[in-house]
Amino acid sequence: MTELPIPPHPIPPRDEDDVLAAEYVLGVLDLAERAAVEMRLGREPAFAALVTRWEADFAGLNDDYPDVPAPDLMPQIEARLFPQPPRRSRFGSFWAWGTAVATAVALVAYLALTPPTPSLVATLAADTNTLRFEAEVTQDRLTITRVAGSPADSASSHELWIIVGDNPPVSLGLIDATSETISLPGIAAGAVLAVSLEQPGGSATGQPDGPILVTGVLAGVLAGA
Amino acid sequence: MDDPVADLLIKIAAQDRAAFRHLYSLAASKLMGVLLRILNNRAESEDALQEVFTRVWLKAARFDADKGRGMTWLIALSRNLAIDRLRARPDHVSDDDAMSAAPDPAPRAETRLIAAGEARRINDCFATLEPDRAEALRGAYLSGLSYTDLADRHGVPLNTMRTWLRRGLLRLKECMGS
Repeated sequence: MTELPIPPHPIPPRDEDDVLAAEYVLGVLDLAERAAVEMRLGREPAFAALVTRWEADFAGLNDDYPDVPAPDLMPQIEARLFPQPPRRSRFGSFWAWGTAVATAVALVAYLALTPPTPSLVATLAADTNTLRFEAEVTQDRLTITRVAGSPADSASSHELWIIVGDNPPVSLGLIDATSETISLPGIAAGAVLAVSLEQPGGSATGQPDGPILVTGVLAGVLAGA
Repeated sequence: MDDPVADLLIKIAAQDRAAFRHLYSLAASKLMGVLLRILNNRAESEDALQEVFTRVWLKAARFDADKGRGMTWLIALSRNLAIDRLRARPDHVSDDDAMSAAPDPAPRAETRLIAAGEARRINDCFATLEPDRAEALRGAYLSGLSYTDLADRHGVPLNTMRTWLRRGLLRLKECMGS
């Protein structure tokens, strides 16, 4: 293999996409440029194929990453992906105390766990991000409010997702304003809310294409009391 | 070709939780090595590892065994997540500190999870480039250095670094024969 001379002219246009794909795989682009590339990946299979090819080409360097023992994080990962359905009564063991006490406690539990207006809350945040949202569900309506961090810039958008049990994420739409209210009937504690960074107008594939910025789990307002 | 990671990803796409746990035991330490090298912070890397496996569960159906090896896909996913986090850091911590704290380890013998021939091929191609250009490409890939980081490290203007590296990539493409 002989060394090719450096071309004195700029990179030919036909190679521009190829070089951009390589720069993305290499990781040298800034966040806005990366978001622009990720936007194209969902729309342009030919461009996505260039990225896949560069990933395979550079994979030869992956041997240089050493193995580093990782703690068993599977319990946290599974808790995030497969939340347990809430138990009907957390006061079952109290039945042994006697019928009168149990009846009173069960009544309290009934009132507490099946209030006439179900109320769930979640905080969406991440350690690595200043972005923070507070979400609450009142009478089948979800309200999400950005309480810290900046809105998406003009080259991107914030998209809200809900993940229930084993199901894939479902888009709840874009978060353009500081606060949005969405009709969301039948939602229960344990559902995961997530906000991802997407192309303007949102994911083209129906699944999150960009990075997940923040996540949070919907919990009953009494759960943490 | 034997690819145990790919087999597991196909099962995970079919919602197989046992395969998901098996994949963690098989790949977590390799992916931790990737995340720690780029993020250079143990707690953040552990948090990122959870995010990686969350995405693996949600996105496994997008893995296509015809287009590449399972471990290559997992490492690409991990690198993308780590680099996005690095670029999103509000203070954008200097990567020079990260580099001095984590020097390039000597290349290991290839594991059975990574295609053996690939390493030889890209290293042969790097040998056809000027040494500082090859070093810039390797540092960018392994440590997630940005154009700005690379320009600082090599003491050249940002646009010079960009032109340099882009021409290096074209030559690399030529050499890789694709």
